[in-house]
Amino acid sequence: MSVQRGGLGRVTHIIGEGLEGRIANRHLALFGLGFVGLFFVLPILLLIPESLSLGSTTPFESYRRVMNGIYVDAFVRSFLYGFVTTGVTLALAYMLSYFLAFSTERVRTAMILIIVPLWIAYIVRYFGILLFLSPAGPLADLTGFETDLLFTTPAVVIGLANVYLPFAVLPIYNSLNAIDEELVNASRVLGAGKWRTITKVIFPLSLPGLVAAGLIVFILAAGSFLGPAVLGGPKQTMIANVIAQAFLDNFNIQFASALAIVYTVLLVGLLLVFNTLFDLQEVLGNI
Amino acid sequence: MLEVDTFTKYYGELCAVEDLSFRIEEGEFVTLLGPSGCGKSTTLHAIAGLVEPTDGRIRLRGTDVTDLPPEKRNIGMAFQSTALFPHMTVRENIAYGLKMHGYSAADVEERVEESLELVDMPDHGDHKPGELSGGQQQRVSLARSLAYEPDILLLDEPLTGLDRVLREEMRGWLNRIQREVNVTTLYVTHDQEDALSMSDKVVVLNDGQAQQIDSPERIYESPANPFVAEFVGKSTQFNGTVTHENGQAVVYNDEKRIALPDSSIDDDQSVSLYVRPEDIEVSPKPTGAENEFRGIVTDIANLGNRAELSATLEDGSTALAHTTRFPDIDVDDDIFLRFPAERVIVL
Repeated sequence: MSVQRGGLGRVTHIIGEGLEGRIANRHLALFGLGFVGLFFVLPILLLIPESLSLGSTTPFESYRRVMNGIYVDAFVRSFLYGFVTTGVTLALAYMLSYFLAFSTERVRTAMILIIVPLWIAYIVRYFGILLFLSPAGPLADLTGFETDLLFTTPAVVIGLANVYLPFAVLPIYNSLNAIDEELVNASRVLGAGKWRTITKVIFPLSLPGLVAAGLIVFILAAGSFLGPAVLGGPKQTMIANVIAQAFLDNFNIQFASALAIVYTVLLVGLLLVFNTLFDLQEVLGNI
Repeated sequence: MLEVDTFTKYYGELCAVEDLSFRIEEGEFVTLLGPSGCGKSTTLHAIAGLVEPTDGRIRLRGTDVTDLPPEKRNIGMAFQSTALFPHMTVRENIAYGLKMHGYSAADVEERVEESLELVDMPDHGDHKPGELSGGQQQRVSLARSLAYEPDILLLDEPLTGLDRVLREEMRGWLNRIQREVNVTTLYVTHDQEDALSMSDKVVVLNDGQAQQIDSPERIYESPANPFVAEFVGKSTQFNGTVTHENGQAVVYNDEKRIALPDSSIDDDQSVSLYVRPEDIEVSPKPTGAENEFRGIVTDIANLGNRAELSATLEDGSTALAHTTRFPDIDVDDDIFLRFPAERVIVL
């Protein structure tokens, strides 16, 4: 190692010397918080005045319009698809994670198969499913009959579950993998068969991962935009699609803002209900 | 009661246990003793049904249980990690085995309370395992494994994580519980003090093979081979070849003559000799007795009730001797060490 510091090294050294003792961890946190505040909290807050027609006699006009049937349908559909997708995804992810955590073979390969799709853009993956399900696609070739799946609710749920599966597998796998093998052994020796060991020991201990996975998938799925746009028909329109339409097609910023605020409030409200049921702080604190 | 018959376990090419056989009688406390990786834990897991033997049979109360899953064997097991279920209270942990064994709700409740009494923790039923100390967790683990009256209790290094004082306390306590419940017990440890102080019988294992199966006294006083002599207890070691002088078997070690206890041993046999530290006497002046060596004191370790003295002999080897608590000897002193011929272990 040479003692002499060259160009860039010298510069960073001088900067380092200058900052020494003046910067603490909390200063570093400010960068992150500042970013979130500037580009997330502030824009959301700005939606509030945007959504009101201030100065007019009916400032809540947009909100009244939100109560309209087709928009209520879109809200209900969003949360419904969110729930169904979460259920399907969690079931699939749990089985997959269980295999990964308790099987000694090919875990790496399986993990790679789960992670790699994350590198591929959503739009590509949705179009892949679109092609696969299309009446002249491989599924029809393979099974011999043309399915009517495309542009239906099942198609949207298949697409969403597929895309969000990795987000569910990782936390569930983590919590299953953290279970001490001796606990499983102890359960067996104490007289519980395989199935009862799963229900009494393994499942309860994996709950934190399951709840975390459920939250992530639900929030992502309920706010989906691409999935229903590519794989769904007019009857599968979710709230994100409606907001985008109002904003981008009709340039109705006021109405789009009102929809966005109502959606955010409903989602936060739902999470609060969820919190009282599961005590998220405790469950997630154990991850 | 328990019969391990030519048990063999391979992990792929790697042999963990080879052709191990031993028996445990009703009510006995038997210890599997050996260094880590000797196969003792594998053996215990095989008895519990958690490891599938490559070869050999395991019989419990006359029934071949080799192919039974763990839950059908009626075994109690305490793990080194305690393996208490972290999401259940102490009471729920103990009730678990009882429920799985088909006890009625009333019986479960009664037996849980009895078990808590047995391990002196009647007030800790509602705690979570995480709120208990290491020793308390180990006691709950024991209560859980005994609650449903298993045919045999398997203990997998339950005292390993505990500090020295607690460990000694737990030893006596464990022995008392074992006698009180009168349960046949197989204890696995790498700690010779655990093995010698608690067991009726010790199985010394090394490299997956039984080295000696005997009472603790015999293991210590008449080890079957150099491994047992060196693994169990401390000793001073000499090597040499046997010759006979006037009918007495002797070994010459660097010009020094060591008389052996038994004259029937053949000439020209290469032997290892072991002398336990408590059999070696130390004095500042030579006494002219047989088996006397000159040495220089290198260390005096006070063990509380006695001292352990290390000395370098003239041939460069190290000798260990026990002395009174405060011997009138200092480090670097010239001393003489001697031991009676009948206390020499010849292997």
